[in-house]
Amino acid sequence: MELILAIAIGVLTTCGVWLLLRPRTFQVIVGLSLISYAVNLFIFGMGRLRIDAAPVVEGGVIDPANYTDPVPQALVLTAIVIGFAMTALFLVVLLAARGFTGTDHVDGRER
Amino acid sequence: MASSTFLIAIVAIPFIASLLAAILPQSARNAEAWLSAAVAIFGLAVTIWLYPQVTDGGVLREEISWIPELGLNLVFRIDGFAWLFCLLITGVGLLVVLYARYYMSPKDPVPRFFAFFLAFMGSMLGVVLSGNIVQLVIFWELTSITSFLLIGYWFHLAQARDGARMALTVTGLGGLGLLLGMLIIGHIVGSYDLDVVLASGDLIKSHPLYIPALLLVLLGALTKSAQFPFQFWLPHAMAAPTPVSAYLHSATMVKAGVFLLVRFWPVMAGTDAWFWIVTFAGLTTLMLGAYIAIFQTDLKGLLAYSTISHLGLITTLLGMSSPLAAVAAIFHIANHATFKASLFMAAGIIDHETGTRDIRKLSGLFRFMPFTATLAMVASAAMAGVPLLNGFLSKEMFFTETALRDANPFVNLALPIGATVAGMFSVVYSLRFVHGVFFGPAPTELDRVPHEPPALMRRPIEILVLLCLLVGIIPGITIAPFLAAAVVSVVGPDTPYYSLSVWHGFNIPLAMSFIALVGGALLYLALYNYLNRGIEGPPLIRHLKGQRIFERVLVTISWKWAKALEKLLGTRRLQPQLALLVTLAVIAAFIPLLAGVGPLAASPTPFDPAFALVWAVGIACAIVATYQAKFHRLVALVLLGGAGLMTCITFVWFSAPDLAVTQLLVEIVTTVLILLGLRWLPKRVEFHTEDGLSRKARFRRVRDLALAIVAGCGMALMSYAIMTRPAGQGIGDFFLENSYKLGGGTNVVNVMLVDFRGFDTLGEITVLGIVALTVFALLRRFRPASDSVEKPEQQRIQNAFDDQRPDRNSGDTINEYLMIPAVIMQWLFPVIIVLALHVFLRGHDQPGGGFAAGIIMSVAFILQYMAGGTRWVEERLRILPVIWIGSGLLLALLTGLGSWLFGYPFMTTAFQYAEIPFIGRVPMATALLFDLGVFNLVVGATVLILIALAHQSVRAPRVSRRPPPVVREEAPPSPEEIR
Amino acid sequence: MHMLTDHLVILPILLPLATGAILLFLDDRLRPVKAAINFASTLLLVVLAALLVRHAAEAGQADAVGNATYPLGNWPVPFGIVLVADRLSALLVLLTSILGLCALAFSLARWHAVGPSFHSLFQFLLMGLCGAFLTGDLFNLFVFFEVLLAASYGLALHGSGSARVRAGLHYIAINLAASSLFLIGAALIYGVVGTLNMADIAARVANVADADRGLLEAGAGILGIAFLVKAGMWPLGFWLPNTYAAASAPVAALFAIMTKVGIYAVLRLSLLVFGDEAGASAGFGHAFLLYGGMATIAYGAIGALASQSTARLSGNLVLVSSGTLLAAIGFGNAGVVSGALFYLVSSTLAISALFLLVELVERIRIEGADILAVTMEAYGDDEEEDEEQEVGVIIPGALAVLGISFAICALVLSGLPPLSGFLAKFAMISPMLNPEGLATVNEVSPSAWWLAGLLIFSGFAALIALTRTGINTFWATIAEGPAAVRVIEIVPVIVLLGLCVAMVVLAGPIMTYLEAAATALHAPAGYIADVLAAPVVVDMGAAP
Repeated sequence: MELILAIAIGVLTTCGVWLLLRPRTFQVIVGLSLISYAVNLFIFGMGRLRIDAAPVVEGGVIDPANYTDPVPQALVLTAIVIGFAMTALFLVVLLAARGFTGTDHVDGRER
Repeated sequence: MASSTFLIAIVAIPFIASLLAAILPQSARNAEAWLSAAVAIFGLAVTIWLYPQVTDGGVLREEISWIPELGLNLVFRIDGFAWLFCLLITGVGLLVVLYARYYMSPKDPVPRFFAFFLAFMGSMLGVVLSGNIVQLVIFWELTSITSFLLIGYWFHLAQARDGARMALTVTGLGGLGLLLGMLIIGHIVGSYDLDVVLASGDLIKSHPLYIPALLLVLLGALTKSAQFPFQFWLPHAMAAPTPVSAYLHSATMVKAGVFLLVRFWPVMAGTDAWFWIVTFAGLTTLMLGAYIAIFQTDLKGLLAYSTISHLGLITTLLGMSSPLAAVAAIFHIANHATFKASLFMAAGIIDHETGTRDIRKLSGLFRFMPFTATLAMVASAAMAGVPLLNGFLSKEMFFTETALRDANPFVNLALPIGATVAGMFSVVYSLRFVHGVFFGPAPTELDRVPHEPPALMRRPIEILVLLCLLVGIIPGITIAPFLAAAVVSVVGPDTPYYSLSVWHGFNIPLAMSFIALVGGALLYLALYNYLNRGIEGPPLIRHLKGQRIFERVLVTISWKWAKALEKLLGTRRLQPQLALLVTLAVIAAFIPLLAGVGPLAASPTPFDPAFALVWAVGIACAIVATYQAKFHRLVALVLLGGAGLMTCITFVWFSAPDLAVTQLLVEIVTTVLILLGLRWLPKRVEFHTEDGLSRKARFRRVRDLALAIVAGCGMALMSYAIMTRPAGQGIGDFFLENSYKLGGGTNVVNVMLVDFRGFDTLGEITVLGIVALTVFALLRRFRPASDSVEKPEQQRIQNAFDDQRPDRNSGDTINEYLMIPAVIMQWLFPVIIVLALHVFLRGHDQPGGGFAAGIIMSVAFILQYMAGGTRWVEERLRILPVIWIGSGLLLALLTGLGSWLFGYPFMTTAFQYAEIPFIGRVPMATALLFDLGVFNLVVGATVLILIALAHQSVRAPRVSRRPPPVVREEAPPSPEEIR
Repeated sequence: MHMLTDHLVILPILLPLATGAILLFLDDRLRPVKAAINFASTLLLVVLAALLVRHAAEAGQADAVGNATYPLGNWPVPFGIVLVADRLSALLVLLTSILGLCALAFSLARWHAVGPSFHSLFQFLLMGLCGAFLTGDLFNLFVFFEVLLAASYGLALHGSGSARVRAGLHYIAINLAASSLFLIGAALIYGVVGTLNMADIAARVANVADADRGLLEAGAGILGIAFLVKAGMWPLGFWLPNTYAAASAPVAALFAIMTKVGIYAVLRLSLLVFGDEAGASAGFGHAFLLYGGMATIAYGAIGALASQSTARLSGNLVLVSSGTLLAAIGFGNAGVVSGALFYLVSSTLAISALFLLVELVERIRIEGADILAVTMEAYGDDEEEDEEQEVGVIIPGALAVLGISFAICALVLSGLPPLSGFLAKFAMISPMLNPEGLATVNEVSPSAWWLAGLLIFSGFAALIALTRTGINTFWATIAEGPAAVRVIEIVPVIVLLGLCVAMVVLAGPIMTYLEAAATALHAPAGYIADVLAAPVVVDMGAAP
């Protein structure tokens, strides 16, 4: 399973980086989204993979061994939210740029 | 009050006075002059008063602590040599002030002049009185800066600007070199204190860093004293008002260079390097300056080059590094100051009275201004080294030194001959100055009749010329004691005997003087006709203009090359920058990884084909999305969502329900956003030009692909390596153990978000709020591109359909279109709100929480927009997103602050459980209030972004090359409407 | 204990947040009120920051006061997030607040009115900056980076317009990529050492298994790249001059501190985590910083020479200052770093003032003087003016003030005496040549020569570029009539430059403070001990 996830992260990163280096703003925003998936999965992976060990505890005495590490999940949640905000912002900026320059090239002019 | 404190006073008072002078009214000429004169007199008085303490090697010093950590304290220190300079600076300064009072036109803004003048005086005194070599550099650069301002005083004249800039650039460069040199000396000696430095000459000379230090110090000295090859700036500094030239370019600033040479003579002179560099520079300058001076047509130009040549004489003497040569150098410094200052003033008077300084236009002025003429003649005689004048004495000493036998035959020949030739030249230009200006027929090309200047304007010259005579005739009782004091402080107590008497009998030096005088006179006669033809510039090197060369070099290096280099080393395009960013990240990651990533274990968790299938799909989605992102945006967007969905599934799979929920919701909203945005992007039809792809473009693609693959592999490698290794003792367990006990929630992740790491969440929602505000601000100024303003095709068709029917008005079909879904969506509104509430309340214990609830809530709103259209919604419910945002932030903040009342740090939570009908036992933790803040903000932010974007479809284009659409457009929303 | 002193450390974060939130409730039509609130709050921030500095100055002295810490939510370190205010953090917070106050005052003349919610964004930016400087938690640092970046996006785009949006697009794209790197790096580090608290990380680095060390350092490297993008190191800083030149004057003035956030992060983490106690990883990346910094100095200097518009010139000077600081950090000597800190403060103040000046100057200067500045010397202007009557031009008051201010900027930035710029260069170069202290015999490393030479060269380049602009602005092209400058615009400039002058007078005590700061940075044990032992409030029975 780890291998599959690792490959998935790798492919997502590859696609993301490739798009990041493209000249069209839409390609860049898709690339950034793919990269953020990869990064979120990456952070998540830092807590190691556990099946059926959701960090939802019952009261009383708790054995941490039965649960997955909650820290990376908290980090990913924050990362997701910030990523969402930034995607929205970038979208609007690229729309504005397109409006001002008339082109959707990242440099604001066709070469 | 200790006499040493007066040292500080004479440096500080000019600066204070400078500030005072700057704020006096423009018209206050006399006040300015009186102020400056008072400062100069004070300085002069103190200097004279201090004399007894500096005789026979006495030193007086005063130290103020400044930055002791760095060995930089303010040390003011005076010895015989510094004293002599103080005398020059203050004495000549006083005379120049008097002169300037009459020279400057009433219309001139004198406050600026005298302010700079005083500041310069202070800096110069600072240079000579510095007892710390770094402090010396500070004042040194100050003289460069103030002289820059003085030269550029008439900045409306182009040559004043250029001259000022050139002077600053050259001397500034020298100053920077000097700084480095001083730092090296400090490094050698282990202190920046001048007394320590002067005490460790042998250490310096024997140190491996001696040569660099020497070169750097010489760079400073030679640039300042306009020595070859840096001599070219001085003539262009003549654009300054004449009083400035008389002060800076005869007596003081240009002397700072030789001052430095003398100051460091005891610790740096005597080596071969010193001898060859300094003597060569000096001798070259001596002859070159004298030669060029002959052919100058501008009086001040002539004087400038003669100054250069005389400074070269002093430098040559110092280069010889014999004690007697040093004596001669010091002596000539004083003499040159006196006669050259008076000559500059005379030139100024002539300029003032005749309106020109061009020798070709001047002649026979003797009959108009006999006094001035006489004074000028005596001074130029001193310049030429005529007996019974001070110039003669020091020049004799110079000849004596050059005539001494030396081991090196070349030196043996070059020095005396060079000296004599230079002497001849100086006689020539002195003759030309006197004869060309004062004798011959009356001037014809003048627009006014010249006459004597006001007596007071002449007074300074008279005093200086008198000094020339006194020193020249009776040196023994005038200059001798002061010179002795200065010499002792430089050469040391065992100074060899030297005689200042006028007559030394018939000897080689006398012969050389004789040759120089007679030869010079003959040479002048020979050149007479040539000179009268009045051709600009000297023969042979006429076209070698220092200024032009300097400016060409400066432009080439500082502009042309810089531009080329910037293009070469930088870029303003985005793609290369991102490529560089990725490349460096990859490098930074792989260097350590290759060094040792450790063994890679097998996957701990068992393989599951279903999961493999999930990611087979996910990867396919990602790749196709990547491939389609350019030409089929919608497809790419959908597939992107697919990849996102697989991410959600992964989260569910590996026990992260919260992440799954959040990711899913965010996925939805993001997709809606981009959908709203798609319409404003340009249409792009797919064209197959793969074969036509240029080699450059293909290379770029290959490179990018390689980069992307390497980055991907890196990520895969790192994640796999970590995931397959046992986790160490992390901080995670603490949260699991205490989430319920101390945090009052069973959903550990949510407790972390609102409690353990609630501060992160506070920042996170702030980010969301900021982005929403930014988006809103940006979209208010949104200006769609001309080709995407017209209504979508479907709308146009439907409207056309309505227009054809008489019983329908335009837009009906659009409203009826999707009517059923619309109604359903409107019914869903309350349902979704309840759902949001539920998700919110269970958040603390079960997956969910403020953020998820907030997103759900905003989805409810956006559904209404979809269903009823912008107008319909905003007629019915008035959402104030910005207020939601603000209240969310404040609520979260206040919740956190609450704990202060109980003496706990920010965001310390307290909780207990409460029974709520139908929902059950919910934790009433203060964290819940915080989560409510999160909820509010998320709703506000998301809705604000969505609405702002949705509104674009109903706004009219700002600029449109097409005729305005037939359908009436709705007005863009005012901020109040959104708010 | 008093509430203010109790919570002093967190106030610089909460105050701007509260102000920003409250300002959201006020309609844009009440702009004067918003301005007043904003100004009062920023002024208060300056006071708080000053108190913080005073508090930090006592740390580690005779009475053994530790660095001020603040455990959020009263959770024990390393589990909760903790704020730490040592000398460095406190100083930077103070610098931020001062820049903020000046930029704000300047913006009140007109800029704050050209777009909505300027004041809130402004306060949020301050919050982000203070948070980034104060937090002791790696992921929390990321959050505050995002806060200040988001606010900076908003402010960079403030006023909209084609140029700003295009520059903003690049700025945002690059920083989003950098943020992803930040996350990757931070996650890797957590994956290896299993903690997020910086001090805790530092404590655990020494005994990381060799098998994992590669991963740890990879994480650190990626993290470092993310910081260096913000710091504008060559070749990662090409976005900087464009963005700063495009931003509105007050925003650019405040941005002068933004690159310093990247510098701060590098300084803090490289010395804390990879200091001498870091075992096998000690000194990781220092050489890279040294050479990267030197390259940045060179590129910035070249760019400064090559830039026609004054705004771009200033942007390139920002690069020079970043490069200088990075190189000084990489040099790895406490003395050099203390000099570098002096340089940081001085150059930031001066650049900020310069950005404000640029706009005022643009108003008085004749159209196209920028281009003239170069072409005039390229093709020479041989206009014969000999016959012109030699009477000086009387400078109108406002113009004189501008001229003097510009001159002071030029002196500070080119490191000429007698102002703080010179002292800063001296304070860096002297320890470079005498790493063991002046009095003892020292060996000089080759890199010291190169760096010293580069510092001198960059100063000279700045001098040439600035005199070129200055002469052609204030001397060659004299505007008709008095310059249209409002008092509220010129006072901030005077304040900023006045501080540069004050730094010269008070150089002694300031250097003492900075040396203590630098020494503490190079001996992180004290910091780590203070943070890990951060006291939490034991139940005083007041809790409900």
